[in-house]
Amino acid sequence: MVSQGLVFDQIITGLSIGGRLFLIAVGLSLIFGVLDVLNFAHGALFMIGAYIGVVAIQSVAGGFWLGLVAAAVGAGLVGVLIEVGAIRRVYHREELDQLLVTFAFVLILTDVVRFVFGTGQKVVDPPALLAGSIRLTESLALPAYRGFVILVSVLTLGAIFLVLRTTNIGRLVRATSSDRDMAALMGVNVPRLYTLVFFVGAALAGLGGALAAPTLSITSSLGDQVIIRAFVIAVIGGLGSFGGAFVGAYIVGITIAVGSLVVPGAGELIPFVAMIAVLLVKPEGLFGGAEA
Amino acid sequence: MSLLELSDVNGFYGNSHVLFDLNIDIEHNEVVTLLGRNGAGKTTTLRTITGTIPRREGGITFDGDDISEESVDQISNRGIKLVPEARRIFPTLTVHENMQVARDMSKGREPRPVEEMYEVFPILDELRENRGRNLSGGEQQMLSVARALIQSPDLLLLDEPTEGLAPVIVDDLYDVLSEVVEQDVTVLITEQNVDFALDLAERAYIIDKGANAWEGTVDELEQRQDLLDEYLSVGATDAE
Repeated sequence: MVSQGLVFDQIITGLSIGGRLFLIAVGLSLIFGVLDVLNFAHGALFMIGAYIGVVAIQSVAGGFWLGLVAAAVGAGLVGVLIEVGAIRRVYHREELDQLLVTFAFVLILTDVVRFVFGTGQKVVDPPALLAGSIRLTESLALPAYRGFVILVSVLTLGAIFLVLRTTNIGRLVRATSSDRDMAALMGVNVPRLYTLVFFVGAALAGLGGALAAPTLSITSSLGDQVIIRAFVIAVIGGLGSFGGAFVGAYIVGITIAVGSLVVPGAGELIPFVAMIAVLLVKPEGLFGGAEA
Repeated sequence: MSLLELSDVNGFYGNSHVLFDLNIDIEHNEVVTLLGRNGAGKTTTLRTITGTIPRREGGITFDGDDISEESVDQISNRGIKLVPEARRIFPTLTVHENMQVARDMSKGREPRPVEEMYEVFPILDELRENRGRNLSGGEQQMLSVARALIQSPDLLLLDEPTEGLAPVIVDDLYDVLSEVVEQDVTVLITEQNVDFALDLAERAYIIDKGANAWEGTVDELEQRQDLLDEYLSVGATDAE
């Protein structure tokens, strides 16, 4: 019998895994929803964010906070390079061509990072401010850093909804995502809007990477692991849906963490089982078909 | 100087050549109709003007400026606004949001207030919060016209505005458009519904198989039953 405290710990761990997965899945969904491109390089952008976070923490005092900002901006700018340099040229091609182009960037970015940082693992600590834990009851405590990751993911979801629902640019993004040709006919500079959306999606991945840095051992292959989970989330939640990305990310996070209690060593498998179940019951994903 | 001038324009979809040395000339504040059978190249002609056709050749000037190399949004921002055949309402946005997007995208042009459009189209006022995809064909057409008018067009392109609409809606649309054409705007309208177009327009072009077949005033055309039979009658022997 597993103890109540252990289950609680695993749920918190799962929520925190879900929180950082959400940041990558939501960017993937945003880019797919608006540009109609499945960005395979999204995991690599997460990995770049993680390395920027590591470098910031190791090189300056208070570097963690600087690292979050630098990771978002840095990954965002790499995203802009990818979009303007390559993806823009294949919008009118088949999906397989687009996927291959983004996959090329996975290989390129992974090799560049391996060249610069080597193959060794990088491990950093969370900032002192978030090092402790928050005692909830006599026997239960929430590690502050995990709580922080969860909070950031919830705030991000709220911010994305707020921007899309209530601002002029958000309305424009929704219009363009539903009919880009008509948007252009009304005077929208669609390529520029796409670049902006790609920047934001990539920046969210970078932010996710920097947030994950203190909880993972970072290697240049981190992106591969993460992108597969992000795709699982997208399938579960419904690609293009932000609410779906949120729910999907937390389902995956919790099933990994709690599942490893139930079936020790096999926790990683459970999200795939969940994905298969969703595909059998609701192939468009839990939130698929609903409006992003 | 003409507002819009197409001189020897050719249009292509991939390898297929669909417009042949087309010439069209529209003066400021004119209302011109482009007539022809289904498949004659009317929509394609509008697509060469808006820049959405994959390949176009020949001279296209707007207000004296060459626009033949410009992108779709650049052409739009010059004040050429299309009400497309399929209406192309943003399906996931509400009626009000569709109008707001139009207003926000009126770059460098003073947009007309959204509220003014609700006076012109009272039916849209009741549907403000309805999503585009839930509107009827007639409601979508009204919204599509409203969306174009908000952007204060210099040249309004109307592609088959009455297509698929119930007769009573066609009458409503006629009332609105007859007021629009009185204003300071140039209009190019394509129609299968010849009577509708001739009631609105002053001058007409007939095109057939992607090339000019006839041009003249609407008054002249109304006297030429032979042209109507040859190029526009649905019952003609070689109708598609």
